[in-house]
Amino acid sequence: MVQVLDSGTREFRPPDPDGFREWVRENKSRELKNKVISEREAVERYVADGDYLCIECCYTNRGPNSLLREIVRQRKKDLWLAGRFMYFDATILIGAGCVSKLDVGYFGLGRSLHKAIETGKVKTVEWSNGAMTMRLLAGAMGAPFAPVRFLGGTDAFRNSGAKLIEDPFTGKPVVLLPALNPDVAIIHAHQCDVYGNARVFGTSVSPKDVAMASRKVIVSAEEIIDAEETRRNPGLTTIPYYFVDAVVDAPFGSHPGTMPGLYGSDTEHIIELMMLANADKIETYLDKYIYSVETQQQYLEQRVGLAKLLQFKRNEVIKEGYR
Amino acid sequence: MSPEIAFTTTEAMICQTARLVEPKYTYWVGGGGEPILSILLAQKHRYPDLVYVTEDGVVGPNPMLPFEPIMTMVASRSCYRALAWDNMNGVQWHASVGAIDVGILNCLQVDQYGNFNSSLIGGTYERPARRFGGAGGANEIASLCWRTILITDQVKRKFVKKTDFATSPGFIDGTPGARERAGLPKGTGPYRVITDKAMFGYDESTHRMKLLAVARWSSVEEILANMDFEPMIAERLETIEPPTEDELLVMRTQVDPGGRTVGSGEWITVEVD
Repeated sequence: MVQVLDSGTREFRPPDPDGFREWVRENKSRELKNKVISEREAVERYVADGDYLCIECCYTNRGPNSLLREIVRQRKKDLWLAGRFMYFDATILIGAGCVSKLDVGYFGLGRSLHKAIETGKVKTVEWSNGAMTMRLLAGAMGAPFAPVRFLGGTDAFRNSGAKLIEDPFTGKPVVLLPALNPDVAIIHAHQCDVYGNARVFGTSVSPKDVAMASRKVIVSAEEIIDAEETRRNPGLTTIPYYFVDAVVDAPFGSHPGTMPGLYGSDTEHIIELMMLANADKIETYLDKYIYSVETQQQYLEQRVGLAKLLQFKRNEVIKEGYR
Repeated sequence: MSPEIAFTTTEAMICQTARLVEPKYTYWVGGGGEPILSILLAQKHRYPDLVYVTEDGVVGPNPMLPFEPIMTMVASRSCYRALAWDNMNGVQWHASVGAIDVGILNCLQVDQYGNFNSSLIGGTYERPARRFGGAGGANEIASLCWRTILITDQVKRKFVKKTDFATSPGFIDGTPGARERAGLPKGTGPYRVITDKAMFGYDESTHRMKLLAVARWSSVEEILANMDFEPMIAERLETIEPPTEDELLVMRTQVDPGGRTVGSGEWITVEVD
C-alpha cells in the first residue's frame, strides 16, 4: 500500500480523467470546420458563470486580452481563476467582480486586488506558478496527478491540495499534485487557421497543455492564416485544431501588452493601469477601457488610435524567431 | 579629504550579489527587481556569456536592455539572442534534473533556517492583514536549484523567528534530512542571504543562518539590531566593499538606466581610497 505521509488542506476540484475523456469525446469536434467567431460570441457561448478559467500568459505579454476584456464586459460571475504568472489579469477580473476563487501561483499587481483577498471577497488556495503548470500538464496527459520535487515542507503545501506520499519505486517521499482540467481556457496566438491550428512563437507558460487540459478552448490570434499555410509548415503548429472550440480574429489582441515579434507594449497605458490599481480605483480603468466600448475594434479605434498602434509595431525591432 | 562614492541600498545588494556570480554555474533568477538586475549586472559587466534562465522558459539570453516597465519575461527584448526558448515546465525540469546551479530570489521575510515568505503578512490565511502576489516561481527555484541566494533589506521585520507564511523552503526545521523528508531533491538548499549591510551563509551542521560579512558602512551591532533572531557569527568576518564606479556605471547606464529599481532605497555615502 502506498502511504500518504502528509496532505494539503485546501479545496480543489477532484481530478476526473475518465470524465474529462468523455467530455472530449462528446464535445470536441473532429471535423475540420470554420470556427471563426467574434469575441462577444465566443465568450457568450463558451464562458459560463461559475467556470474554472485558465488564461495563457498574461496581460503584459501575449495575453488574450481582447477576450479577457469581453469576459469583464459580459460581467461573468463566480469564476475560479487559475492565478499563474498574472500581471494585471487578476487585477482586472477581480476588480470587475468576476472572480470568487483564486488558485495562487503569482498574481500582480495593485492594491485593489490584494484588498479583495484581505476582505474575504475572494478565496485563495496556495500553489506556485510551477505547481499550477504541472497540474495542467497532468490534466493534459489525462492523468490524475503529477509528481514533483518541490512545494513540500512549506505553508504553501499546507494551504494547497497537494499530497506527500512514499514513492512506491524509490521508497522516498514525493509530492503529488492533483490534475487540473479547467472549464475554459483563453489563449492568444500569433497565427491560427480557421480550424483552430494555432501557432505560438517565443517563450511561453504552457499554451499546448492548457489547450489539451481544458474543456472549452478559445484561441484568439493576431492573424488568421490559410489552412494551406498550416500544412506547408506543420512543425510550427503549437495547438492542433481538435482541442480548439472557437477562433477569434484579434489583431492587437494583446494590447496593452506586447506580442513578441509583432508589437511592443503600451507603456503609458500600463502605468495608468498600475497607478489606478494601486490607488484602489480599478473601476475607473474598467469604465474607461472596457465598459464604455462594445468591441475590440472600438477599443482600438477609440481608446488607442492608429498612430499609437503603428508606433507599437515600429517599437518591436526584434523579429528573429517569431515566425 | 578622500573621494566619496554614493550609492543606494538597492545598488549595494545588487552589486554584492553580482560579485558572487561565477560563469561556470547556471542561474535561475526571479523575474523582477534585484534578482534579475544582479544577473544582468554580472553579464554586462563581467561575463558576456553568463547563462541564466527565467520561468517563462528562456535559456541563456543576451537581452536587449533596458526593459520596458514589467517586461522582464516573455517580451522579445528579455528573450533576445537566447540559446533556447522553452516554457515554464521546461526550465523547471532543467532544474529538477540538476542542470541549474543557483537560484536568486527576493522575499518579504526569512527565518533563521532560510524558509521565506512571498505570500502574506499578518492575519490568517483566509483573511490576511496584507496579501502579496504569492510564490511565482520562487518555490520551485528554492526547491530544485542546488543553491539559493536570497536578497532582502536588513530590517527587523524581514529577519524573523517565524515567517507569517513559509511560501518557499529553506532548511525547513533545520534537522538533518528535513528537505528530503518533504520530497525535495537531496543536496539542495539555501546558500547566501545578501542585504544592504551584510552577507549571511548557513552553518553546516545546525543549518542556522550565519553572519559571514559586514559592509564597510555598517557594523555587527547594527546588523544584529536589525534582526528579530540572533544569527551565528563567523569567527572571521569578511568586509563587503562598496560598489565600484565601474559597477555603478554599468548598472546605471545599461542595466537600469531609468533607475526604477536601483534608484530606490536609501542613499549611502562612503569614502574610498
